[in-house]
Amino acid sequence: MASQERITVHNLAGKLPNLKHTSDDAIPNYLNSLKFTQDHSLIDTRLALGYGAFAIAAACFLWDYKLGFESTKWFTAAAVALYSLVNGALTLWIAYVEKGTVYQGKAADGTKLTLGPPPQISVSTSTKKNEPTYYVVVDVAPKGGPSTKLEFARSFTEWFDVQGHFVALPFQTMLATTVPLIAKADPKRAAAIPPPAAAAAAAAEFLNVDTHTLDALAAAETTGAESTAAGSVGKKSKRRKA
Amino acid sequence: MLSGLQNPRQAAAQLLNFALILSTAFMMWKGLSIVADSPSPIVVVLSGSMEPAFQRGDLLFLWNRNLLAETDVGEVVVYNVKGKDIPIVHRIVRKFGLGEHAKLLTKGDNNAADDTELYARGQDYLERKDIIGSVVGYIPFVGYVTIMLSEHPWLKTVMLGIMGLLVVLQRE
Repeated sequence: MASQERITVHNLAGKLPNLKHTSDDAIPNYLNSLKFTQDHSLIDTRLALGYGAFAIAAACFLWDYKLGFESTKWFTAAAVALYSLVNGALTLWIAYVEKGTVYQGKAADGTKLTLGPPPQISVSTSTKKNEPTYYVVVDVAPKGGPSTKLEFARSFTEWFDVQGHFVALPFQTMLATTVPLIAKADPKRAAAIPPPAAAAAAAAEFLNVDTHTLDALAAAETTGAESTAAGSVGKKSKRRKA
Repeated sequence: MLSGLQNPRQAAAQLLNFALILSTAFMMWKGLSIVADSPSPIVVVLSGSMEPAFQRGDLLFLWNRNLLAETDVGEVVVYNVKGKDIPIVHRIVRKFGLGEHAKLLTKGDNNAADDTELYARGQDYLERKDIIGSVVGYIPFVGYVTIMLSEHPWLKTVMLGIMGLLVVLQRE
């Protein structure tokens, strides 16, 4: 399961896409649990085009294998042309229509909600190199009304713990407090403390940790005793504050 | 990682990436054979019979259209013999007549005798339709990979497995 997966927090460069994908995967889980109806038409079109192209190639392979080259030459030429058309359409679809869209769905009142990466940022990652920030553009289109765009950029550290585990609660709170439409669907999360404050507190705690704790943390990482390490961080830092 | 397998659409999309790599490679090959009008526009030299011109492992590019001139003496051609499925790369050394049914005799540069021995039983010459292309270009040695693959078939399985794994493991 994506949310249970642990992402190595060191060596950020290679792990950013993982942070992004794990966060992306959590969005449909959360929104669908709030009675949003997910619209799969984007990915369904992509699958139809892709498998359509593959079917053309497969058919071409079959007749070429069964009947030989010479007698099927014109069919093969047509198949090659058709394949490049469908494949080109697929490429355009991915680049100009899907644009890395993470979620598309409808709220209970029919308002359309779309989440995806902002256009200026690489579609495949929606992160910038070596910068642990999650960039999202939210498009809210009420029934019959004009759509409004909302852009936010949040640090992954708000919902990934020190060990690299995804934590659902702060992520959901973050979404609910940023997007009014989600807040309406989930008033409980929206009323919670906004995550930046909590995250700042956590970060401050982590910065205050003494070398002993850091050693313990490192040792725990290698032995895999994650829960105890996390516990010790909490305890130690509390003691320091007291 | 394999998280996509939880969601059928994402699993299908990942499988699609792999399928499209295969089918695109195949369709590019087919496109090339349509342009060159040859069932096999790229071949690998399997023997040393054309040394020193071509060596085992050389990759040859074929062209099978007679746009400007007929296939003639001196051209290096690849031909198929009825009943044998391995194409042969040799040079045309004799030609009698003109057009479709001109009688062609081939010989390997490095062979002592001409190819009448290699032809099918009762066949003394080639015709234009037996030829699948004239050599128009080559890259030395790179074809050795395919010689390795055909001599050690298990390498194919290994390569395909590694490719498949890579595609599944890295999303997008």
